[in-house]
Amino acid sequence: MNPKTLRVVIAIVLVAGLGTASVYFLQGSSIEYTNLQRAGQLGKTVQVVGTWDKPKGMNYDVESNIFSFTMKDEQGKSMFVELTGAKPNNFEIATSIVVKGRVEGNTLKASHVLTKCPSKYEGNASDLKRTT
Amino acid sequence: MIAQILIHMFLGCAVSSTVLYAMGSRGNANALKVARGIFSALALILLASSTILITLILSHDFRYTYVQSYSSADLPTHLLIASFYSGQEGSFLLWTLLVAGIGVILAPYARRFGYEGAAMSFYSLILVFLGLLLVAKNPFAYVWQTYAADGIQETFVPEKGRGLNPLLHNAWITIHPPILFTGFASMSVSFVFAMAGLVKREYHRWIDVALPWTLAATGILGFGIMLGGFWAYETLGWGGFWGWDPVENSSLIPWLVSVALVHTMLVQKRTRGLVKTNMVLAVAAFVMVLYSTFLTRSGVLGDTSVHSFVDPGKFAFWILLAFMVTFVAIGVYLVVIRSRDMNIAREDFTPTTREFMLAIGSALIMASAVLVTIGTSWPVLLEIIGQPKVAVATTFYDNVHLILVPLVFVVNGLSLLLQWRSSPLAVIRRRLAVAAVATAACTAVTVVLGVHKPEMIVLAAAAWFSLVINAQHMWSFITKSAAMLGAYVSHLGFALLMFGVIATSGYTVVHHAVLPQGVPTAVGDYTLTFAGKEQVEKQFRDREKFRYAVSIARGSDSTTVFPVLYYSDFNQRQSAFLEPGIRWGMIRDLYISPKATEMEDVYKKTTVQRGASIKMPFDTTITLQLERFSMPTTEEPAPDGRMRMSALVQVESFGVRADSILRVPTRISQTSTGMAFDPEWTAIPGTQWGIGLVKIVRDNENVDQSTADFVFRDMGKPLPTPKETFTVEFSEKPLIGLVWIGVVTMVAGFAFSIARYARQAAQRSTLLVSTESPHSGQQTIKANTANLHPNES
Repeated sequence: MNPKTLRVVIAIVLVAGLGTASVYFLQGSSIEYTNLQRAGQLGKTVQVVGTWDKPKGMNYDVESNIFSFTMKDEQGKSMFVELTGAKPNNFEIATSIVVKGRVEGNTLKASHVLTKCPSKYEGNASDLKRTT
Repeated sequence: MIAQILIHMFLGCAVSSTVLYAMGSRGNANALKVARGIFSALALILLASSTILITLILSHDFRYTYVQSYSSADLPTHLLIASFYSGQEGSFLLWTLLVAGIGVILAPYARRFGYEGAAMSFYSLILVFLGLLLVAKNPFAYVWQTYAADGIQETFVPEKGRGLNPLLHNAWITIHPPILFTGFASMSVSFVFAMAGLVKREYHRWIDVALPWTLAATGILGFGIMLGGFWAYETLGWGGFWGWDPVENSSLIPWLVSVALVHTMLVQKRTRGLVKTNMVLAVAAFVMVLYSTFLTRSGVLGDTSVHSFVDPGKFAFWILLAFMVTFVAIGVYLVVIRSRDMNIAREDFTPTTREFMLAIGSALIMASAVLVTIGTSWPVLLEIIGQPKVAVATTFYDNVHLILVPLVFVVNGLSLLLQWRSSPLAVIRRRLAVAAVATAACTAVTVVLGVHKPEMIVLAAAAWFSLVINAQHMWSFITKSAAMLGAYVSHLGFALLMFGVIATSGYTVVHHAVLPQGVPTAVGDYTLTFAGKEQVEKQFRDREKFRYAVSIARGSDSTTVFPVLYYSDFNQRQSAFLEPGIRWGMIRDLYISPKATEMEDVYKKTTVQRGASIKMPFDTTITLQLERFSMPTTEEPAPDGRMRMSALVQVESFGVRADSILRVPTRISQTSTGMAFDPEWTAIPGTQWGIGLVKIVRDNENVDQSTADFVFRDMGKPLPTPKETFTVEFSEKPLIGLVWIGVVTMVAGFAFSIARYARQAAQRSTLLVSTESPHSGQQTIKANTANLHPNES
């Protein structure tokens, strides 16, 4: 094989190989944002945006290291969530939460809960007037 | 007010210096002189603005929104300095200041090579956009300007600042961001030299001029990224040093492109090949800095990151976008119009040469950069094309790099075995055989030491291959020419880094542990004991910060670490601030992440419904009837500012009603788990007993359903201290020290190379000055190149 052909072959193999591998990995690692209904049907890891159903409370079990609560998605459907780990930061004041996990039975087994607080690090006018 | 004018003056100066330097590059000597003056003025204006901002922060001038938003009077000086760049406005100002500062050094350097006009014109254009951003995100806005819509008057002066996020309260905030920003700012330099090279049609010489700067930018940015990882590990308690978070990725991407660029620049320097590649990569490295800024500062990534994103507003969004688009357009335009011209300088590589391997290696590094970019942008990309939103799990990056990194190591090893231009195959076979045997031996040892996962063995083998060959090169150069060591030292550092990654990512052991105070608890091979806590940083009034003393013992070996958990008014005590406790070690770090803390109930609670009666538990001759609750509005707040409520209790002794109703007050605060009640012990008249109110459950619809929890104690005895239970995550992280050692070694290698190539460039500029026409200058350089590297094989 002459050097030029070899170069072309190496280039094609590299690009094709890496390209295929990355598309494969990207598909495997993509986590859909969806609602609770579809999360139940899919049965794989997804992310669900919603809110904490406050009246139903929350609990952190120290022994098992599981934080549990009930969430409501944007369609109003609710589901019990079990997060492995402690209560996420800013859980109570979050305007919405993003739960990453998988539905098993009637429980959303979560690995991460992201909390969204629009005013988290920004001041506002009412803050200004608060004094010590 | 002056500062706001200064910002506008700066923008004006940047625009005129762009124009004047451009005129200067076309031979207008007067324009060039004026441009130099204006550029100095521009740097001074920025210095003045920055001095004003820091003075305002240090003097707690809360009339300014920025000062009010990011600092407070109780911050120590080093954190006040950090407040300068803790918000978006200030960080843009710091970036601009650094770009201008580097420009002051760059201008005379570029002048020595005849690049001043063209390079500084592009450089000033960068400052124009930064100036626009500063006008849009002005750090000198007054509170009454920012909150005009909320009816804030001009005369209004906020009493106190909001303060700096307690997460950021440590020494790293004063170190990591400035270094990272210096790295970002210096990435502009190779770009402007490349553009100047295109304008001047000097497709080779710009490489020599720019190389020391490219190396410096890469080294500094790499160091800055590592400091961020170290900060996350050491203080923020995220457990690891890298999480493929968008903010982390966005500094990694330009760094990767820059690393690729360093290698392709070296190839062109030696072989005069890869001319266009270098132009494209120089553009890409800078544009990726802008793209990263756009991704992390425009708010497009909203809820996908642990870092906070503040929406900068429409105006700033469009400036950021225009900034990026403009420089992509300039780069593409210049490369395209000079494309045919550059083809003349093209040279083809034979696969068995060092230049070929370096090109492949750079392609692999670029593949990493492209894939990280795709992964980071994926949620935004899908949203733009109207697909359902998707997040990318970190497994994507892990998997992709499990393929790329071993290839990079192998290609790196091979490139060093091969020679420039051509390599005699017999020599290579011998060298390869030696390296392969050494690699096999080292890998076998690694497997014996406990690395069993196939993908980790492959990665380790590849890293050993590279390490063995680089070590061998280091050894042969160490006595001959220390200046040549740079590359080998950096590669060695990269291999060490990867060994650290293999060990920690593959073999970290994590335990969940519940530690009641004073009770030794077996966790894995260790015994953990939570001994007690101690308040620290008492000067801050927004928090009671505690260090939890946890001893870690195994056999006779015992040590105590101090993780931290506290609540702060900064986020209305809604969630805890955490810092890990770490026992640093050569073999492994023992890492304790605090998770939760709970107080034991010392007294048995008795619940009473409103209107109902109970017998006092220690003395049943006493009957207590819960009449009603007082409203918080009618109560004086406690001296510490907490809200107060009381239960009004009718006491009966031997059936005789007391004359007055007993008020039992409690102090109420919001905590992570709802309302917390701190009882004010109240003596029951005529007895030694005291009563405390520890919980109120209000039922507003049916007030009679409201209940109170009471506790009782003997007032003659001291209060027992309640025991605390501390819940932690305890992990053993093997060889994580290699991560830090590896990166520091990499950066040290850059320092060697910068020194070497800066010296070469300086020699070249002297040569140029001594010759009449630029053409003969080039000739001399070419002739000289051969003499400069007698040692290189």
